[in-house]
Amino acid sequence: MYNFNYYRPLSLEEAAQVLSAASDGKLMSGGMTLIPTLKQRLANPSDLVDLSEIADLSGIEAKGDTVVIGATTTHAEVADSEVVKSQIPALAALAESIGDPQVRNRGTIGGSIANNDPAADYPAGLLGLGATIKTDRRQIPADDFFTGMFETALEEGEIVTAVSVPIPKKAAYAKFPNPASRYAIVGVMVAQGPAGTRVAVTGAGPGVFRVAKMETALEKNFSANAIEGISVPAKGLNADMHASADYRAHLVGVMARRAVTAAG
Amino acid sequence: MNAHAPETAFTLNGRPVSVVAEPFARLANVLRDQLGAIGTKIGCDAGDCGACTVLLDGRQVCACLVPLAQAAGAEVRTVEGLAENGALSAVQAAFLAHGAAQCGICTPGMLMAASDLLQREPKPSEAAVKDALGGVLCRCTGYRKIIEAVMDAHRFAGTTAGDVCAAPAKGRAVGAAMVRADGLAKVTGTDLFGADAAPSDALWLRALRSPHARARFTLGDLEAVQRRHPGVEAILTAADVPGENSFGIYPDLKDQPVFAEGFVRYRGEVVLALVGERAAVEAVPFDDDLVTWQPEDPVMGVVAALRNGAPAIHGNRPDNVLAEGRLEKGDVESALASAEALAVDELATAYVEHAYIEPEAGYAQRIGPNGARIEVAASTQAPYLDRDEVARVLGIDKSAVRIVPTACGGGFGGKLDVSVQPLLAVAAWVLKRPVRCVYSRIESMAASTKRHPARIKASAAAGRDGLLTAIRLEADFDTGAYASWGPTVADRVPVHGSGPYFVPNVFVHSQAIYTNGTPSGAFRGFGVPQAAILQESLYDDLAAQVGLDPLEFRLRNALRPGQPTATGQVLEHSAGLAQCLEALQPHWRRLRGEAEDQNRIGNGRTRRGVGIGCMWYGCGNTSLPNPSTMRITLDRAGRLTFFNGAVDIGQGSTTVLLQICADALGLETSAFEMVLGDTDRTADAGKTSASRQTFVSGKAAYLAGRDLRAKLLRLANVGDTAEIDLQGGTLRIGDGAQATDIDLAALPVEEGGETVLSGTGTFDPPTTPLDEKGQGNPYATYGFAAQIADLEVDMELGTIHLRRFVAAHDLGKAINPSLVEGQIHGGIAQGIGLALMEEFLPGRTENLHDYLIPTIGDVPPIDIILVEDPEHLGPYGAKGIGEPALIATAPAIFGAIRHATGVKVRKVPLLPHRLLQALRSKP
Ligand SMILES: Cc1cc2nc3c(=O)[nH]c(=O)nc-3n(C[C@H](O)[C@H](O)[C@H](O)COP(=O)(O)OP(=O)(O)OC[C@H]3O[C@@H](n4cnc5c(N)ncnc54)[C@H](O)[C@@H]3O)c2cc1C
Ligand code: FES
Ligand code: FES
Repeated sequence: MYNFNYYRPLSLEEAAQVLSAASDGKLMSGGMTLIPTLKQRLANPSDLVDLSEIADLSGIEAKGDTVVIGATTTHAEVADSEVVKSQIPALAALAESIGDPQVRNRGTIGGSIANNDPAADYPAGLLGLGATIKTDRRQIPADDFFTGMFETALEEGEIVTAVSVPIPKKAAYAKFPNPASRYAIVGVMVAQGPAGTRVAVTGAGPGVFRVAKMETALEKNFSANAIEGISVPAKGLNADMHASADYRAHLVGVMARRAVTAAG
Repeated sequence: MNAHAPETAFTLNGRPVSVVAEPFARLANVLRDQLGAIGTKIGCDAGDCGACTVLLDGRQVCACLVPLAQAAGAEVRTVEGLAENGALSAVQAAFLAHGAAQCGICTPGMLMAASDLLQREPKPSEAAVKDALGGVLCRCTGYRKIIEAVMDAHRFAGTTAGDVCAAPAKGRAVGAAMVRADGLAKVTGTDLFGADAAPSDALWLRALRSPHARARFTLGDLEAVQRRHPGVEAILTAADVPGENSFGIYPDLKDQPVFAEGFVRYRGEVVLALVGERAAVEAVPFDDDLVTWQPEDPVMGVVAALRNGAPAIHGNRPDNVLAEGRLEKGDVESALASAEALAVDELATAYVEHAYIEPEAGYAQRIGPNGARIEVAASTQAPYLDRDEVARVLGIDKSAVRIVPTACGGGFGGKLDVSVQPLLAVAAWVLKRPVRCVYSRIESMAASTKRHPARIKASAAAGRDGLLTAIRLEADFDTGAYASWGPTVADRVPVHGSGPYFVPNVFVHSQAIYTNGTPSGAFRGFGVPQAAILQESLYDDLAAQVGLDPLEFRLRNALRPGQPTATGQVLEHSAGLAQCLEALQPHWRRLRGEAEDQNRIGNGRTRRGVGIGCMWYGCGNTSLPNPSTMRITLDRAGRLTFFNGAVDIGQGSTTVLLQICADALGLETSAFEMVLGDTDRTADAGKTSASRQTFVSGKAAYLAGRDLRAKLLRLANVGDTAEIDLQGGTLRIGDGAQATDIDLAALPVEEGGETVLSGTGTFDPPTTPLDEKGQGNPYATYGFAAQIADLEVDMELGTIHLRRFVAAHDLGKAINPSLVEGQIHGGIAQGIGLALMEEFLPGRTENLHDYLIPTIGDVPPIDIILVEDPEHLGPYGAKGIGEPALIATAPAIFGAIRHATGVKVRKVPLLPHRLLQALRSKP
């Protein structure tokens, strides 16, 4: 059926080793995205390295003024975490809004951001909160990590190990979901805190992006009224049977205002 | 499977198991194919439907997305592990008692998702249930009974199947909300659907389908391909079909090839089939070695197909018009010209996919001496139609074909046409080996029939007194590449086009147009739901013009007993629309009042609206015979067997017909064994469609019961008031204090078998042909309904939040109120999809994440009012309830949106971006 080698290493070092030795190695975490692409033969790796047994990669911890979440931590774990719920409730709510319980029980934050689906929720969450992505090689600010549609700053064989999220003063995520998959047709994370005032949008464009005009306006006056007239151009936004580019542009405004109101 | 594949061990339902399989084999396949745990279903293989939901270390997951390797050492629990020591789990018992399973294909997944929740929260809130079950789709139930069952499960701890499934008292079956007769198998995961069983030596069939909507093609060197792929036993094409290479519903319209011959007319049409070992046939690339294509510009949509000079889809229909229907009553033109109130509008609707959760599946094998006969076991709504098609395609006598319907995981009209049957029959016949096939979700959606997209124009008129004077309606239906049920749609729409009202002047013209779209066929309502949306919208316009509220306007015009319909038929009884509307009136006034108050004080960001939709629906075929025959036998040992050829596709006919025949005979439902569907053993009951099984087959079951009862009473020479008892081989017939014991073994046997007595009933509802003006009595009876929708519109987003439905239905008599509610809930859910979300686009929405169907969060509470205006022809006064709720739903929703916002629907589905655009362009 599939012609590749499968590994389930117990340590990060072993994972990195196997990966570097493989001619065309690929990582797997929850498999929620990878398994369907393998089935459709959209990916055809030589070796698969399953990260799910590496204990160090999973878990949630408050560290100073940040919350650190391991790469293989599932969406359900983030949503249910007392730490996340108390320190960054917006992120817990975002995780809770992903897919359905089956996906939340398997899908991971590392897999989600490494995949960087243009409609995924975490990219907006991490960019909006000004998070830092930790890998087995370095630390990458979210601003530099998400580089385009399904594209990230990760190099060949680089493994996401954790994300470190600064605790905001206020933040909220508002999403207009695809009614079936719950992926974002448009999702907006609005936050104010150590990383400044940020508005990050997923689902609308080819990749997650920030809306500078809204950020400037909110900096002065953190209220829905402050961004009432600010719109993003429809040109270049995604269009499909669920929503035209115009409708998406409109949704960015509405969702941003709703997020600001919810953030209080 | 690879010989070097490693061994993986885990715990399945508390028992250690180990399998040799690729680490990436999906858990769902391993459970089903290697461990025989077929209770776990596969509806999409993509994480969209949740039918494969199991518990992995106590948490629900989609087994179709879990690689076997990640289950290593884990504890896996499936539906088979829910019942412990023979006792049902509480949630299984609750599902039975609440009627939460209809077809049952989603049930195992629902139960597992519910178990995950209930182990943490034994008494969950509705919101918690919706969240926990949000990943499992159900197309039948409308979710309401599932929600009730999960919330109520805590009350069922320790209940046995016997407690829940207790039979109603003798003579009390009709009207009882008894648990469905096939329910236990559905909640324990033992019901066998199309993909669940096949002979162990069956070969695998994979159909290869056109990626083009219109193309010529040339076959490659198939023998060479086969040689390159050991394990592929045959590559079948049109040349291999022993009989006629065509099928179709109408005897004179067998226009769809089993295998295309050099030319394809839609994307998804079969060109060839690979048969052999599963892994081998799946590994063959579908490339130029097999087929080379010369695509042509497809003719998409009715406008293109009707354009002058449009290419013909079929040579014998140069104008692309497959079928027309017409109705003329009175003088519409002068009535419209002199109208005191006049409304004119247009509507376009989309393709709608049935989206049954069970993709088409089955197997075929040669049977009988010398393998001279063929048996096809498949998921179907119409075993006798399948039998005739298979016989034709194989060029053999009908008597040489046996159709054995499997459990049907949803149909809704889509399994009235053959799908896997002719392919499997040809393969098994030619190869003389059993062959099985399971469509993938994508294949099912690309290939199967759809609801007809419609373009409709209409005008309607009323007097200042609020009485309707005329309606003119013209509808073009996109019937796609092949005829299927297109003519039925063209016939049904004229009859129903003026709605369930008395309208003196009516003109309706409908046509089914061939295009290169996916074939449109039968889908709950056959075109009537589409036409009803515009017709009801125009009546709302007229009501506003004459200053009447929408319910009052409808009540004034409701068709009443003694008034002629548009076809000139006079319904002397059981025309209960007025009763339905009167029953709704208090709800209507209260909800409309609440909505208007809320809008007055609200901030305008959301607006609430309350609307009403009415419908009627003729039960059975349009002016065509559609008999059903039922039979009951009693043998020497006292075994009572009900031979019922009606296929239960989840709606519950197996249970309803049993209830009817039990009361007609005078014994408990538990006294019967049943033989279902098998064409070798049951008589033709007709297809399961058009709300006909309760009415038509139900009457046949009643007559069969009465026939046997009369014979039994004659044995004792007593009157009809006598009571019957069956104890083993002894029949006791009592009349007052007198009782006669009859030893069945002493009676002569019938037909050389074991049967000593039998009862047979046949019913064919009386209809008359329609003349050239569409006048006549097309149906023996009609169901009527009126439904209220209460909703909120998010004025910034264009989204709809449904708050509630109130549904009043005249169904003559509710034989089983729980099953009736299930039909109403499910119909409303599909109506919600039709109105607000469902739009099939060939090539773009062939999966269950781009094609949207209602999920558990989309169906609000539904209040049901049953109006029982008995239909004297029907069994115990009953008529059908299969279609009605769906038809009345979209009009009620659109009426409510209009009430909230003033927007009238012109394009369906009314997706958020369409509604927002309409809100912005409103004058
Ligand atoms: C039905 C369904 C609905 C969904 N709905 C949503 C939704 O509403 N919102 C949303 O955001 N997402 C949604 N998803 C996606 C889901 O969140 C996935 O779980 C996620 O995108 C991928 O996570 P995973 O752990 O399963 O990754 P995998 O599938 O295992 O991997 C995904 C990719 O990331 C790579 N990768 C994995 N881990 C690492 C790592 N540590 N370092 C580097 N690369 C790595 C893999 O090589 C692969 O290319 C949905 C998925 C499904 C199937
Ligand atoms: S079969 Fe697994 S989600 Fe549909
Ligand atoms: S009962 Fe849920 S899909 Fe049929």
